[in-house]
Amino acid sequence: MDNRTVRTREAGEGTSVVYITGYLNSLLGEEVAQVVHEVLDTGRPRVVLNFEGTRLINSIGVSFIIGIVERMTERDGTLAFCSLNRINQELFRLTGVSRHIRAFDSEEEALAFFARSS
Amino acid sequence: MRLLLSQGAEFSFRPAEFFGREEELTSLLRVCLEGKSGVGASVLIYGPPNIGKSSLLLKLKSELKSLPESTAPPCPFPFYYSFSNILSHPLALSQHLLQEYLWQLLVFLGESPPAVFDLDALCESLTARGHMECRDFVFAHRRYSEKGDGLSALANALSFPFATGGDLLYPVFLFDDFQYTIKLQNIPEGAIFSILRPYIKSGHFPMIVSGSSPGHVTSSLKREGLYGSFQLLEVGGLAPDASVKAWGPLFERRNIHMPEHLKERAAARLGHVPIYQRMFAEEVSFRNSRIEDEVGFENLFAVSVTEGKLNRYWREFFENAIPDRGKRARAVKFLKRVLCDQFPIDTFEGAFSLMGTTPEEGTEILSALEFKGLLRSDFEHIRFVDDPVLADFLFWAFERGVLGKNTSQVAAGIVQAKISRGLPERAREEHEGIAETAKEMMRRWDCREVPALLFDFGRFHEAYKGKGLLEIVIGLDEDTKKVRLPKISSVSTGYRTLRGGSRFDFDLVAYGFRDGDFSEENLVIWAVDVNTEKTLGQAAVEHFENRCRLLSLEKSLKPGQLRKWILFDGSADASVVKSAGRYGIHLTHRTQMRLFLNLFGMEELEKGPEEKRPPEAPAGERPLEFELVLPMKADAELVAARVAEEVASHASVDKDTVDRIKMAIIEACINAFEHGGSDTGKVRLRYILSPERIELFVQDEGKGFRPLQAGDESRRNRGWGLKLISELVDDVEITTGEDGTTVRMVKDLRPGRDEDPTTAGDEG
Repeated sequence: MDNRTVRTREAGEGTSVVYITGYLNSLLGEEVAQVVHEVLDTGRPRVVLNFEGTRLINSIGVSFIIGIVERMTERDGTLAFCSLNRINQELFRLTGVSRHIRAFDSEEEALAFFARSS
Repeated sequence: MRLLLSQGAEFSFRPAEFFGREEELTSLLRVCLEGKSGVGASVLIYGPPNIGKSSLLLKLKSELKSLPESTAPPCPFPFYYSFSNILSHPLALSQHLLQEYLWQLLVFLGESPPAVFDLDALCESLTARGHMECRDFVFAHRRYSEKGDGLSALANALSFPFATGGDLLYPVFLFDDFQYTIKLQNIPEGAIFSILRPYIKSGHFPMIVSGSSPGHVTSSLKREGLYGSFQLLEVGGLAPDASVKAWGPLFERRNIHMPEHLKERAAARLGHVPIYQRMFAEEVSFRNSRIEDEVGFENLFAVSVTEGKLNRYWREFFENAIPDRGKRARAVKFLKRVLCDQFPIDTFEGAFSLMGTTPEEGTEILSALEFKGLLRSDFEHIRFVDDPVLADFLFWAFERGVLGKNTSQVAAGIVQAKISRGLPERAREEHEGIAETAKEMMRRWDCREVPALLFDFGRFHEAYKGKGLLEIVIGLDEDTKKVRLPKISSVSTGYRTLRGGSRFDFDLVAYGFRDGDFSEENLVIWAVDVNTEKTLGQAAVEHFENRCRLLSLEKSLKPGQLRKWILFDGSADASVVKSAGRYGIHLTHRTQMRLFLNLFGMEELEKGPEEKRPPEAPAGERPLEFELVLPMKADAELVAARVAEEVASHASVDKDTVDRIKMAIIEACINAFEHGGSDTGKVRLRYILSPERIELFVQDEGKGFRPLQAGDESRRNRGWGLKLISELVDDVEITTGEDGTTVRMVKDLRPGRDEDPTTAGDEG
């Protein structure tokens, strides 16, 4: 029950990094979804979700992430994950999320990927 | 022939196997003898079923019969009568009572009673001895019987004994199983006391009434204004030495050998209850087993309680007490929670809600249990018996019925719980001793200033390593860095899981106030852990820190409001000390603690470190079991995950596996929260860890479906919970019963089982 926070950083070129800290459950999930929607609304179509501070994700948390994936697809945005720990990686693999989203080991790699593909 | 039924307790009573209870016997004997001078009193004996109340009465009877010849008349004639065999019809009861009385009186008078257990024949024999009054009573009995007047017949029969007294003898009544009298047809509760009232009041006829359900009896007594005439005598287990002695004849007769040192443990394990001891001896003899050590004993005990005599005994008891299957299941489950899991229930409302029944059905169950003596109640409170054998039986019934385990699994569980509870007893004592001392000392803090070094093991160790005590004391004195302690307003001992589990909360939590000013902003909380391991491990520090953070969050404490303190006894690596420092945890070693105590004049409480710790129990040999009840509230699943982590830390499990276990239990909890009913509901968890695997049980109360509180999003993509669980663990099993749904998850812990089949080795 750490402090839960969602923080956003602008990384230039229409890219935002969203840092998710704490236990990703329905509360935090809702907040993340909200933040991502706001980011999209300001016209930045690229989002990196940084899971470095995310200790645990539960299935409700995952469902919010899927909601985000769906929303990004609707809006033609690009989404990437980074800094997932092993169990969270496994979780996304088990729920099939990882088939739709690229995950990178670090934020730099994710940003570099966006830079290349622009 | 006498009614076979009536011989139950009397028939199986063996005076040679009666031990202890000297005090009770002496006082009962005195009461009985005082009847002679018309100052005899009455006694109400009560206690749990089969604790030995009947034996006590029968022993009293035999003592009364064997009074020295020289005793001046009139002599007490002990009339033992058990109401349990009757015969709910008052006419039948009155006839039987008359016959019994006549029969016992004839025997007492040295007559050989007629071969036929027949009222007329008995009466003739007695009349022949000059007891003419007998005929009148028998005649009256017949008349009432013809008219079908049960109450008059009963009054007649009960009055008869009082007419038989005289210069030579006076009757002493030993009424057993008195609670059955409330079951008499068409006879108002307490009518028997109305009939007996004048005799009780006279003081000439001592009356010993025994029953396992004192509530009913005392309320009748109160109604009749007789309560004051009765002394109450509660019968519990035997004194330990008496029950150890009781093994003697039991074993001798059956040729059983039990090592001396085990006898005490065995007697205690059976709650010092003579009838259990007898049943256990029969079990040993029946199975032709040998008991060589503690494990052998525990095994045999577990077998007996799960499939042997002790099991049969309680099964029949419950079948008898509550014939309806559904209600019986409810009762067993309820009692299991109270006696095994020690749910603190002492009110009727609490009991109903735990049973999940309507007050009507709950009352019915409770009164059946009360009738059988498993609980006692007054107007508001209920108290339950404390019986270790019953607790294990209930554990079996629960595991068997609710969790669907087979008998040998449950037996193993019982053995393991006992053995793991038994062995580290000394370690636990030591641990608790230190906590107790610290608690005592904290109460005396009272805003004193003490050297900061007492809380700083790192600096202390550096400064005084290898130095003498005097040097340290002087050094401490000169040290200018001081800490001002708060005034402690309360210290409580941390919560522990039951059934031999280990701690997951703090050892001590103290509330204090800085500067002795009891205001909100001056509040400080001290969380204290005692660590008696050989070395203070990093994991222990991390774990402590995590709990502290949790506590801090729960209580929304400001920085500095929570003080964290670990007391330890072993060694500590520099890295561990450093990380404790980083977290702001105070570390106090036993050497520092002695100095600390010394400041408060409490040094004598601290024992020298030479009194050494018990040998380390071999780790990982036996399953550890933990239980946890969680409220259904947000994030409670994290607690479950944390406990899982702690449980897993007892085995050397890699982090990935621990994470999977945590994830699985989180999902199972969320599932239970969703399906488990109201917001006030609870989820019960059990963790069983063995070297090979960890088993997790998550049980909800299953009262229906509770819609999710979160937004649509979360509902739309739901449904993975169970799929995820099945991916994360090796085996999942879901059982739904009337008491809710249980998810059982098993994770294999043997190294290499999971990912890499080539390293699986040859275990098999």
